[in-house]
Amino acid sequence: MLGIEDCLTEVMAIPGALDAILIDQTSGTVVATGGASRHGDVERSAAGLSETLRATLDGLAVTAPGGTVRIDDMIITTDGGHHLLRPLETLFDGPLVIYVRLDLERSNLALARHRLQALSGRLIST
Amino acid sequence: MPSVEIILSGLAGDRATGSLRLGKAGAIYLTDGRVTYAESATTPRLEDLLAACRGISAHAVRQARQAATEDLRGGEPPVAVPQILGGDRLLAQGLLTRGELEFCVLSTVLDASYFLLESTGHRPRFRRGERHWLGPQWYFDAAGLLRECKRRKAQLEQTWPSAELDTLPVIPRRRIAAQRVVLSSLQWEVLVGADSTATPADLARRLGRPAYSVLLAVRQLASRGLLRVPEPDAAAAPTAQDPLPRRTRGASEIPAAGTGSLATPAPLPGATGDPTDVNLLIRLRNALEALT
Repeated sequence: MLGIEDCLTEVMAIPGALDAILIDQTSGTVVATGGASRHGDVERSAAGLSETLRATLDGLAVTAPGGTVRIDDMIITTDGGHHLLRPLETLFDGPLVIYVRLDLERSNLALARHRLQALSGRLIST
Repeated sequence: MPSVEIILSGLAGDRATGSLRLGKAGAIYLTDGRVTYAESATTPRLEDLLAACRGISAHAVRQARQAATEDLRGGEPPVAVPQILGGDRLLAQGLLTRGELEFCVLSTVLDASYFLLESTGHRPRFRRGERHWLGPQWYFDAAGLLRECKRRKAQLEQTWPSAELDTLPVIPRRRIAAQRVVLSSLQWEVLVGADSTATPADLARRLGRPAYSVLLAVRQLASRGLLRVPEPDAAAAPTAQDPLPRRTRGASEIPAAGTGSLATPAPLPGATGDPTDVNLLIRLRNALEALT
């Protein structure tokens, strides 16, 4: 039985994880944060990240062959690291989004994706 | 009278524990100055969300609630038996996981707070020490919650700056001007659920979705011209039945002028729901804001 805080702790346990934010997609608000090295404005980055996801969905919906899209996760690689966004299917509200920033050198993207997937399954039993 | 916002900030500063009752509109529960629960008459209750999405019967929730309320009532602070809070009871029954309960409380509180802070016409009363039967599941910083409500309000206004559809039945247009539309899953649910009688609040309860999200979806649909916007005449009808100046008994001068103008309603320019108009207005407003 996993709560939101435990969930973030586990996200931070992914090898190479630098920081994590749990975002409410409805308005892009911060639900919880993980990771000690927080710099910058978390609220603004959460709002920006949720907008990123929304814009991507809009873009993909038009180009997708079937016209419908479902994002499992989204990976953005910058010169500073990998950024993983994973919408969590909650049963109640529009999706919550887990964001995690991974160290470019010390992380394994495939492992991180796998761990996030397993985690969201445990957080919400469907 | 101080606004709910000011009272809430004050209570948070005092690290108060209790419930802030806002008449029929609802209540906000605080624990040590942090908001732990909020319920509003206009938003779906926790039970509704659980029932609609998780198939948890209202009966099970009621049982947990009753047991917890008895605990809270019977158990004065120095009591030997540990009190089991309602939330833990629900978890113990294996009906849902802790994560789900937390999410559920999270979205219920965010949703209810938005409408509670907007609500007026009540006398806020604080009942010190009163707790919600669920027990604290998630702690909101009051200042953060107020900020979030402001953000939500701004988001609504940016989407479609008119509140005229907020309380009317949602009626999708039979035919639309566009040749193709892209919908989000919630917009889809709203359109499928719309039966020409349900208002956004009704739809929210029926769909088991937060009222704010549904309201936002409705405004998004309206801004794209997918919903029927009431005719200007229909909107004016209720005011004609119940004309504003009812104070005629007291002062005679001001209402006289008012009734005069009401008797012959000035022909308004035809209000269209054309999204291009609204987009133009939004752009105009943004440009004006950029100037200052």
